[in-house]
Amino acid sequence: MPSDSRISKVQELIYEIRVGEVMKTDPVTVTPQMPMSQLREILREKRISGTPVVKGDTLAGIISIEDFIKWLADREPDCPISEKMSKDVQTLYADEPLTQAVNKFEQYGFGRFPVIDRESQKLRGIITKGAIVEGLLRKLEIDHIEEEQVYRRRIKHFFEDILADRVSLFFRYEVAGQDFKRAGEGASRLKSSLRRLGLDPQIIRRVAIATYEAEMNLIIYTKGGRIRVRVEPQEIVVRVEDSGPGIPDVEKAMQPGYSTAPEWVRELGFGAGMGLTNIRKCASRMGLHSAVGKGTTLNIHIVVENGVTRGTEGIDSAA
Amino acid sequence: MKLKEIEKILGAEIITGAELREKNIEMACGSDLMSDVLSFMKSESLLLTGLTNLQVVRTAEMSDLAAVCFVRGKKPDREIIEMAESKNIPLMTTPLPMFESCGRLYQEGLSGCSEYKR
Amino acid sequence: MELKELIQQLNLGVRSARGHLEREVTGGYASDLLSDVLAHAQEANLWITLQVHQNIVAVASMKNLAGIVLVNGREPEQETVEKAEAENIVIMVSAMPTFELVGKLYSLGIPGMER
Repeated sequence: MPSDSRISKVQELIYEIRVGEVMKTDPVTVTPQMPMSQLREILREKRISGTPVVKGDTLAGIISIEDFIKWLADREPDCPISEKMSKDVQTLYADEPLTQAVNKFEQYGFGRFPVIDRESQKLRGIITKGAIVEGLLRKLEIDHIEEEQVYRRRIKHFFEDILADRVSLFFRYEVAGQDFKRAGEGASRLKSSLRRLGLDPQIIRRVAIATYEAEMNLIIYTKGGRIRVRVEPQEIVVRVEDSGPGIPDVEKAMQPGYSTAPEWVRELGFGAGMGLTNIRKCASRMGLHSAVGKGTTLNIHIVVENGVTRGTEGIDSAA
Repeated sequence: MKLKEIEKILGAEIITGAELREKNIEMACGSDLMSDVLSFMKSESLLLTGLTNLQVVRTAEMSDLAAVCFVRGKKPDREIIEMAESKNIPLMTTPLPMFESCGRLYQEGLSGCSEYKR
Repeated sequence: MELKELIQQLNLGVRSARGHLEREVTGGYASDLLSDVLAHAQEANLWITLQVHQNIVAVASMKNLAGIVLVNGREPEQETVEKAEAENIVIMVSAMPTFELVGKLYSLGIPGMER
């Protein structure tokens, strides 16, 4: 996800998330009657710099380390916390959006705000800047995971959501003959699309390899052609067509190692007569029809009995 | 074996994907015929090849390979490097010939694609 | 090391020139590109390749290589065998892919470069 969309996501979140979701519940509290001399221990032990003062369930005030230092510095005799605490406490309601808290931190410069319940006025927790950051990060992380999961299972939803007797997705790629530079672009775009749809990676690999080999054949031997792909819940069919020159002896062309490729193609790493053998290995079923002077049609069927989203039949077992 | 260990064993230079040095490479294969790579190589493995053309990167992309190492000091051109970058496939180059590269990696314990058992 | 020793150790099949297995192997060269072998292989190298067509014999003969091993279960074409017999080039076959076969040859002491 690009950084600017992350930022706008945070902006959305501070309106969406409530104070109650990120606040620290069960905060350390003190009572108004507690003597000031005891406060030091509590602050040190809990590693906090301030704490709400609570009478029963109700917030009576707040006392911070600054108040404590001032009491020490003035060398006053010991007294109850209620005498030194701030009584005019700025609070937040648990149901307020985070943006409200952010504004308050900016406005007052305090390190913390007690969070109270709007109806009962009882203390529910305490919120710090750290808690806000933590809460935002947590939420971003969860959203990200959820987004990926939705993404990954997109095709499953797609097939389940469309009510029809038959649902298919069609793709079509045009391939120019002899264009070695762009060879594989069709297969590459197909692979990315299938990945984005959330298909099983092993199925994608089989489709990609078979399509790539077929695309190479179009480029090496023909003036060009097209690749049509049909994705259905239980089957993927790749149909590769060209308009010539056609294969004189289809049976011979299917033999492993048989090749009519010129030397320059071999030097590029192809044309060793393994293309069709490879395609057959990836396919559940394959059909090759050719007429000399007219053209060739190759149908590659990849059947996935337990669904294209959850194939267990990987390329290894198919091999 | 990690990519960075392969880099060291082969005295190789990482051309692109240096941030993936910690990536684990399960096995390796040496070939100049892409059809064979497409047919026999397992995903997540290293391809050693003397070929430097766009089809090598395409093949690596289709087969979900972990990385490609060019042998005998071959260096790919800009276009190939850019394609590999966009597909997140690390490329490296070693001055060693294919035979020596395979020999050293095998001796250091890297498996071949047919031996490897998941 | 002699060819016949490697054939025995690595269980290689011999497809041509059976009378020439005493040939000494001084190093190895692995490549599927004929032009590369022509340019860089050394005399008495054992050539590991996937290529099966008859041009491999011409290349091996021209560079005076010790022999050719076809990997990954490849078998030579008929014309290739005939040509190899005529030129006394030993063609061997292995079910192993290049990486493993080379790895094993290397452990037997066949180097991939001059030391």
